[in-house]
Amino acid sequence: MIIKRRSAGSMGLNLTSMIDVVFLLLIYFMVATEFKTAEESFPMDLPMRDHGQTLTLDNEPLVIFVESSGENPNDVRVRLDGPWDSIASLEDLLSFLRKNKAGTFGSSGLFAETHPIRIKPTSKTRWDHAVAAYNTAARADYVNITLDEPS
Amino acid sequence: MARRGNPSSTINANMTPMIDVTFLLIVFFVVVSQIVDRDAVSMDLPSPENAVAAIPSPQKKVVVNIVPSKNGEVESIVVAGHELSWNALPELTSIVKTHLQGGAVAVHLRADRMTQYTYVHQVIEAIRDVGSSPRIQLVIEGDLE
Repeated sequence: MIIKRRSAGSMGLNLTSMIDVVFLLLIYFMVATEFKTAEESFPMDLPMRDHGQTLTLDNEPLVIFVESSGENPNDVRVRLDGPWDSIASLEDLLSFLRKNKAGTFGSSGLFAETHPIRIKPTSKTRWDHAVAAYNTAARADYVNITLDEPS
Repeated sequence: MARRGNPSSTINANMTPMIDVTFLLIVFFVVVSQIVDRDAVSMDLPSPENAVAAIPSPQKKVVVNIVPSKNGEVESIVVAGHELSWNALPELTSIVKTHLQGGAVAVHLRADRMTQYTYVHQVIEAIRDVGSSPRIQLVIEGDLE
C-alpha cells in the first residue's frame, strides 16, 4: 500500500485576528469593571411603632445629643441629657460610657450592657457624625443603641 | 551593500504563553464583573475611626440608597433598582415591605457622609412604617487595612 506523504510545509492557524479580538475583550473588561469597595455595617433594631413602652427608672434611656460643628470628621459636639458632667469630644464620651458600664473592672456600674442608648443628632448634623456617635457607643460594648428623631 | 542572512527563513514568536495569559485575564475580569453589587449606588460612605462594625452576612437583602446632592441635601432614593423622588417615601415603604415579604431578611441603609441627619431619619421612619420591626444595617466604608 502506498502512503502519500505531504511535503514538509507546516499548516498553521492564523492567530492574528483571534489575538486582536481577545485583546479587545480584555480592554473592554478592564475598562468596564468597577471594583466594589469593602463595606461594613452596624445592625440597628427598629422598635415597633404601636407598642408603647413603659419605662421604669432603671431603663430610662441615656440620651446623647450630637451636633456637627464643621467639615472634618472630628468637628462634632456631643452633650449628655441628665445630671452628668459635660463632655467635649467623642473620646470623652467613650470613656464616660466605659466608666459607667456595669460589670466591668473599675467601673461604677450605672448602665447595664443592654441599657437603652439614644443618639439624638440635630436635623443639620452630618450623617458621618451621627454614625461616629453610634460607633462610640458600640465601642463601649453597649448593644441597645438607636438613632432618635432629630432634636 | 550586501545583506546578511538567509532571505527565505522567517522568525516566528511563540504566541502560546501570551494567549494563555490573556485568556486568564479575560476569565478573571468576566468573573469579577459578575460579582459587583449592582444595588449599591456610588457615594462617599461614612468611615468612623476604630469602627466596630462587622461585614454583613451574605443574606438576602434590600438596599436603600439615599443619593446625595449638594450641601447635604438629597437628590433621590434608589431602592432595589427603583429610583424614587424624595416625596415618594410611602412608595419606599411599600417596596421594602414587598421585598421583606419576598424573603429578604435585612434592610441595608446607605447614605453619604455629608447628608443631613433629618433626611436619613425620615428614611428610617419610612422603613419603620413597614411594621414588622425590621433590623436595618447602617452601611459604612469598610476597613481597608
